[in-house]
Amino acid sequence: MSLKPTIMIPGSEKGVRVDSRVLDERIQKAVAEGHRNIEIIAQGQHGLGGRLWRAGNEPVSIRILGTSGQRVGAMGFPGTRIDVVGPASDDVGWLNAGAQIIVRGNATNGVANAMAQGKIYVAGDIGARGMTMTKHNPRFEPPELWVMGGVGDSFAEFMAGGVAVICGHKAQQADNILGYHPCIGMVGGKIFFRGLHQGFSEKDARLTVPDDDEWGWLTIHMAEYLEAIGRTELLPELTEDRAAWRLLAAKKPHEKAGAQARNIGRFRAEVWDRELGTGGMIGDLTAQDRGAIAVITTGSMRRFVPFWENEKYLPPCQAHCPTGIPVRKRWELIRKGQMQEAVDLALAYTPFPATVCGYLCPNLCMEGCTRQKADLPSVDTALLGRASLQAVVPAPAPSTGWKIAVIGGGAAGLSVAWQLRMQGHEPVIHDVRKRLGGKITATIPRNRIPDEVLEHELKRMEGEILHKQLKHALTEEEFGKLHEKFDAVVIAVGAQKARIIPFPGHERAVAALDFLRESKLDQAKVGKNVVIIGAGNVGCDAAAEAARLGAESITLIDIQAPASFGVERKHAEAAGAKFLWPRFTKVITETAVELKDGEVLPADTVIMAVGDQPDLGFLPEEIKTEKGFVVVDEKYRSSDPKVFAIGDAVRLGLLTEAIGAGRVAARAIDDLLRGREEIYDQLPAIDPERVKLEYYDPRPPRFEDPLSCAAGCASCGACRDCGLCETLCPQNAISRKEGEEGAYEYVVDADRCIGCGFCAGACPCGIWRLAENDPLE
Amino acid sequence: MEPDGQLKPSSLSTKDLPWQLLWSKEKCTLCGRCTAVCPVQAIELGVHRKRVLQIALGLTEKPGNVFGVYHGIRQRTDVAHACIGCGMCDMVCPNHAIMPIHNDEPDKLRFHINQGGIPRRRGGRRNATGSFLDEIKFVRISMLTDPALDAGRHEFELRTLLGRILPPEEALRITREGGWLPPVREIYPLILGSMSFGALSPTMWEGLQMGVAFLNEEMGMPVRFATGEGGCPPRLLRSRFLKYVILQIASGYFGWDEIIHALPEMKEDPCAIEIKYGQGAKPGDGGLLMWYKVNKLIAAIRGVPMGVNLPSPPTHQTKYSIEEAVAKMIQSMSMAWGFRVPVYPKISATSTALAVLNNLTRNPYAAALAMDGEDGGTGAAYNVSMNHMGHPIAGIVRDAYLNLVKLGKQNEIPIFAGGGVGKNGNLAANAAAMIMLGASGVQVGKTIMQAAAGCLGSEADRCNICNIGLCPKGITSQDPRLYRRLDPEKVAERLVDVVVGFDTELKKIVAPLGRSTSLPIGMSDAIGITDRNAAERLGIRYVL
Repeated sequence: MSLKPTIMIPGSEKGVRVDSRVLDERIQKAVAEGHRNIEIIAQGQHGLGGRLWRAGNEPVSIRILGTSGQRVGAMGFPGTRIDVVGPASDDVGWLNAGAQIIVRGNATNGVANAMAQGKIYVAGDIGARGMTMTKHNPRFEPPELWVMGGVGDSFAEFMAGGVAVICGHKAQQADNILGYHPCIGMVGGKIFFRGLHQGFSEKDARLTVPDDDEWGWLTIHMAEYLEAIGRTELLPELTEDRAAWRLLAAKKPHEKAGAQARNIGRFRAEVWDRELGTGGMIGDLTAQDRGAIAVITTGSMRRFVPFWENEKYLPPCQAHCPTGIPVRKRWELIRKGQMQEAVDLALAYTPFPATVCGYLCPNLCMEGCTRQKADLPSVDTALLGRASLQAVVPAPAPSTGWKIAVIGGGAAGLSVAWQLRMQGHEPVIHDVRKRLGGKITATIPRNRIPDEVLEHELKRMEGEILHKQLKHALTEEEFGKLHEKFDAVVIAVGAQKARIIPFPGHERAVAALDFLRESKLDQAKVGKNVVIIGAGNVGCDAAAEAARLGAESITLIDIQAPASFGVERKHAEAAGAKFLWPRFTKVITETAVELKDGEVLPADTVIMAVGDQPDLGFLPEEIKTEKGFVVVDEKYRSSDPKVFAIGDAVRLGLLTEAIGAGRVAARAIDDLLRGREEIYDQLPAIDPERVKLEYYDPRPPRFEDPLSCAAGCASCGACRDCGLCETLCPQNAISRKEGEEGAYEYVVDADRCIGCGFCAGACPCGIWRLAENDPLE
Repeated sequence: MEPDGQLKPSSLSTKDLPWQLLWSKEKCTLCGRCTAVCPVQAIELGVHRKRVLQIALGLTEKPGNVFGVYHGIRQRTDVAHACIGCGMCDMVCPNHAIMPIHNDEPDKLRFHINQGGIPRRRGGRRNATGSFLDEIKFVRISMLTDPALDAGRHEFELRTLLGRILPPEEALRITREGGWLPPVREIYPLILGSMSFGALSPTMWEGLQMGVAFLNEEMGMPVRFATGEGGCPPRLLRSRFLKYVILQIASGYFGWDEIIHALPEMKEDPCAIEIKYGQGAKPGDGGLLMWYKVNKLIAAIRGVPMGVNLPSPPTHQTKYSIEEAVAKMIQSMSMAWGFRVPVYPKISATSTALAVLNNLTRNPYAAALAMDGEDGGTGAAYNVSMNHMGHPIAGIVRDAYLNLVKLGKQNEIPIFAGGGVGKNGNLAANAAAMIMLGASGVQVGKTIMQAAAGCLGSEADRCNICNIGLCPKGITSQDPRLYRRLDPEKVAERLVDVVVGFDTELKKIVAPLGRSTSLPIGMSDAIGITDRNAAERLGIRYVL
């Protein structure tokens, strides 16, 4: 209780308004001097009644008459009671920290802004931005704002605590006692109200009704409020109808999240699809399912699909072999321990598996070997070739009775005759020579092909094929008879006519073929100095033979880089032969070959090795030739449908090419005789990149026997049944399916496969291929 | 290296590629997901041989060799299978065992990509990371000088006008006389597009349209979507959602017969018609939708057969001069909807833009001018067009606006600007800068791809394969196996997030200017830049 009487502090002196600073000093002084009841006749001074801590715990009562200024009770202290007798200006109770402030009229904007404790009782309406930024400090009771009428716009913005009560009694805006857009940014506190409103920030606040506790609190404190403003008569009216009261409470942070109007899923179903039709925007244009799928997919939704392409491609060895021998298949048989079958298989393709594959062929198969791409030595087919000496002749097909005249018993002629025989036909070789084999027998030096090997293979053939030895070179008339008598004729006369370039003195030179033939019969002689014009493989053979026959100096000259290669070249070099190019012969003299540049190469013997030509003197004009060779199509058919031509008579080539031509021609003849035309599917060669050589020893191995070769063969394009794919597949999608008679295949379960391509990446033999899946609509 | 172990000029090593794949043998579980997902098959399972020498300490025994084989993920180095850096391998890897890393030096692939004499083509964006718009600062922060607003609390109506706005006295006169008033739309200043159905996958396009409809109908935000060339699905044309759509007509005229057929059945007029004359990403170049993207669906919408290349030439065939060309097109398109729909041209930003603008000021039917700068995106273009051709957008927008000011028509013909808005993620800031330079609104594409659909592309030339139909996110693919990775609903949801987020940011920028209802179009005193030359060029504040 106050010790001193009520003090009156005027807001003006002698008609002059007292400055806010001075008035505040006077109020503070009065309190310090012990005054506890102060009456101020205000003239709009600022911040009246605030910060009255000098009263300590004693209550101080401030009564404001006249015109109160802004921020009445700003920073008010507990124990301060301010009674504004009339309306109040802006920011009543600004930053109020405990004062009780009564406004007996209306209050303008900003009432209770940033209030943290205390109570503000307004007997009328308030302006905009009331109860904004209010706080509730847990150390104190929450602040309260009571308003009899309604509130202005933007009420409770950023309200963070406290309680507001809006009674809605005779509010100036009866249709909206909460003003425009209340509660924006509200994070704490409650607002009791009674009356109509036009919305609030639903993002921030939630509209409910007071529960029993809240109602209890409201009714008790309502009485205090009415008491304070002197309107106790309104208590029944304000509390008789509990249902008239509503409560706005700040939403908690977790309630604010995801407060969107409607989720997209519902919008799609209820709005989007309803307006557009089933399936949405393009439901009428496509039946394609457009539902979301996972990134990793199986079945028809895979982007890539693996295929097990077993034996769908030729291995490079076979593809490179002009004869077409299934080299890889033979290694496979050896790996399986079927050595004899591997050896026998060759005879289905060539009558010379040992002679040619084992000795005379440059082995194009090995050149093509996939291992080459990894700088590994190719598997050595020559070893296999030599092992083929013991091959067992397969039983020919049942006899057809058709007869074919084969003119020439060299590699080409023997090949076609061999194949025709195996087909059940009766080929008859016509050759002037006693011994078959053509150049193999007659001109290829012994150091390149052991006699016993050649003999063995010739004998094997002689048991199967008829040989009619001609007394002399075939004439056109005789050819005509053969044409008449036989069902088909094959010209396989080879290139027997040596080409001689007519340099001055060319008559002093000996043709290489003649030289080799004589040499093989041990009838050739050479001088000390030998010059060979033409440094191809035949020239090399001649060089090696010249050395054998005692020549001391051997020189091969050529107009360009020598075309010789392989064993022939090696033998010549081993014999000490010199290779010179480019050299252009001017004249051949008794003692030398003189070159156009004046160089003189001493020569006792000159051998001309510049190529050979077929001798086609017997050929009737109707059969077309070009530049001395018979013109044929891809099946070796000449312009006469009954006449075929193969080997060097068609174009100069390797033995293996002649043998291969024989195979192709035999099939064509078979077709002709049987009156059919078959397409022999030539599979494409496999891309060697598909074969994985990392599974093999990278150190250059020594292939010493067929078994080690078989182990080194990568089985390009043919499944080795290793089961790696089955094991490696991350989805367990690959399995091995048994077929009949030991057949098998690896199959993919599309419902498991994700199209990763691991099978293709890992397959040692290049069987698996990953392909793009078929496009969807 | 080539299979034969030899080198060719274009033999590349992984080091020569733009992206190297780091793979960890230790972490890899060989699950196959990375090779299954890689869009360009840049990786495969590799078989690797491993040799270990076994040597006893003290050399007490004869040393031995142990050879073994392991499997791992191997990067392919041929030009056709060079890694594009998309990172999908990393995305699907359960162990994070693989990741593309950008080369630490310029790659060598760029010198070899023109195999067969075909220069590089790609999709995406200009491979330049900088953004001039990012340099612009908002320097007018009116705390006390203007009634500053609070972006979080105040109510904003950020709208712009699309259409020819007549001076009030003229509008009154015409109204009084019962004459024709140009149609004007009040729309949100962020326009999506132009992005065609075809360049985008069906799921992406529908997702964006759905999101736009949601923004309009559930959020009250009048966002518009410009279709790009390539028509508009018939159902959309006949739905009320058409009013959210700006239909584009371009030199290929794809889909326009379908639009004409739909005229009698339209419930709503479209928002506007955009006549495309040029595109910022590839000015002077046309468009080409490759045949493999023209599936049944695209064919139906564009009104063409399936599986054919669809070229949009660089120029329209029936237009010969600017006066005649623009007038003729605007007239025809206006007439199509009884002069109820605003019609405006879109050009690539160019040093000749003012000629076009001046022409439009004299054309009473011209509703606006849209300009697209060099930083715009595209589904497919030649690398050279994308990287080296085009004009920056900022200066040209400013020039255009100031030109209108000179003519006293700055409030009459709105300018819409696109090309690099939000390039580095600063969508609202870039848009606001553009607006204060003089644009009435902005058009965005790439940013939306990235934000709404997770596009992996970047200015560091990551991914950018929109042109080949293999988009790993399904954004620009017409292959159901890819586009079904994208859920339209999720796209719509993200679009709503993006636009709502943009809205908040834009408010944050304009609130301190005291603007809540009218955009600060051309309010150049509010922006500044630390580059004196740029400030001078644009007529904005030079600040330090």
